Amino acid sequence: MRRVAFTAVVTLAAALALGFLLLPVVAIFLRVSPGDLLGRLNDRVALDALTVTAKTNGIAFALTLLVGTPAAYLIATRRFPGRAVVVTICELPLVLPPAVAGIGLLAAFGRAGLLGGSLDAVGIRVGFTQAAVVLAVLFVAGPFYLRQAIAAFEAVDPTLLAAARTLGAGPGRTFLRVALPLAGGGLGAGAALALARGIGEFGATIMFAGSLQGVTQTVSLAIYAQFGVDFTQALAMGALLVVVSATVLLAMKVVPGWRRSPSTSPFLFAPSSSL
Amino acid sequence: MRRVVLVAAALTAALGVPAAAGTPRITVYAASSLTEVFPQIDARPHYSFAGSDELALQIGEGAPADVFAAASSRYPEDLYRRGLVEKPRTFALNRLVLIVPTSNPAHIGSVFDLRRPGVRLVLGAASVPVGKYARQVLARLGLDAALHNVVSEERDVKGVVAKVVLGEADAGLVYVTDVKPVAGKVRAIAVPARGQPTVRYEIAVVRSSRHRAAARSFIARVLGEVGRGRLRAAGFLAP
Repeated sequence: MRRVAFTAVVTLAAALALGFLLLPVVAIFLRVSPGDLLGRLNDRVALDALTVTAKTNGIAFALTLLVGTPAAYLIATRRFPGRAVVVTICELPLVLPPAVAGIGLLAAFGRAGLLGGSLDAVGIRVGFTQAAVVLAVLFVAGPFYLRQAIAAFEAVDPTLLAAARTLGAGPGRTFLRVALPLAGGGLGAGAALALARGIGEFGATIMFAGSLQGVTQTVSLAIYAQFGVDFTQALAMGALLVVVSATVLLAMKVVPGWRRSPSTSPFLFAPSSSL
Repeated sequence: MRRVVLVAAALTAALGVPAAAGTPRITVYAASSLTEVFPQIDARPHYSFAGSDELALQIGEGAPADVFAAASSRYPEDLYRRGLVEKPRTFALNRLVLIVPTSNPAHIGSVFDLRRPGVRLVLGAASVPVGKYARQVLARLGLDAALHNVVSEERDVKGVVAKVVLGEADAGLVYVTDVKPVAGKVRAIAVPARGQPTVRYEIAVVRSSRHRAAARSFIARVLGEVGRGRLRAAGFLAP
């Protein structure tokens, strides 16, 4: 009898949780017909926003992989004093509210900010440009990749790397031919998460980059801008972001390589094993 | 069982469900430009300050507002036609002003400098009242070329003020009443009278309100002696 009651309680809790989480997502799609949603995406504001999002996120994503991968490899494979602090720095933006990221970026790269004056002096203007959007995405989404990449490289058996070195491979070759393929699963999962987070970036961007159609207005900002003007349009763009995010998450569960890596913690904020 | 009751009581308290006794605490949805003055007129209500269009949309979607105060007659009148608010009343007028950072990096002396290439101008989005009025100012003064200098379109007037205060933008068009709270951080440059649009603030009771009596007395306070005094002190004009 007690077992039945327990099962009933947990089932009810699960149903409640699922229903609550699903309802807003389903509501977006139920409010407007799919045809209308698609039609609304073929509109100047939506197309401009999609272009800006694709371009800024493409650049930020490439930079994240290019800089993040070697950086993560170093942090994961070396033991040095203050390493816990370094890993914490990499993870800090994950838990910072986007608004804090926004004012931080302003204080650093804004015209009156730490580097802003020097940048302005050499003719580089960051504020209100796509560069500002890229910086915001890098800061907010990059750590999702960095964190995961550190964990992935840490999980690579160090004896394999040592063996590659013994067999005559240089450090660069060992990294490219041994460490990278072995950590591939975790890197892929981290990259997917960073991409999904970057595409949805909102708070830091609106504070740091402003919002101008065709220049800095990403899809998230366009949803916010259209929300008071044309709710259906905002819904259509919202639906698109839901589809993109769901695809990324689903890919993480389905793409076998991404799942296989033992280091791929399903918990975003699980402490890195180095801590 | 008792724990459940306690948790429920704590939740109720935390969520701000009003106690049965005393005057109910009403919720006022008000335009961003009223952020400073409304709490001075009456500190008791819950306030939600945002762009008038956003607030109107939220009320249209059933937000639990008791009073709606907008920086335009358009949104209250629209909600009135849809039967969502009672008859709106005008309670204040406002004017627009050009603000630049105190350092004035673009050396702006008048609105006519906004045409100069390279000036970083921030306006409200065309859908929010302050953005609509700013475009009217530019059109009336034959300054449409300044629209090419717009680097960001903000969702409400406080967004425009913030970008200028931070020195990120060279100039912004805001309400006269937005300058006082940031005095010392920006310089205000008057907009010629022939460029000024009619900025009309309207206020109305939301029909779905469960505290309509309290909502009406709040509006009476805004329209009355206290409200007029505070609004005037903040730089608003009498209707």
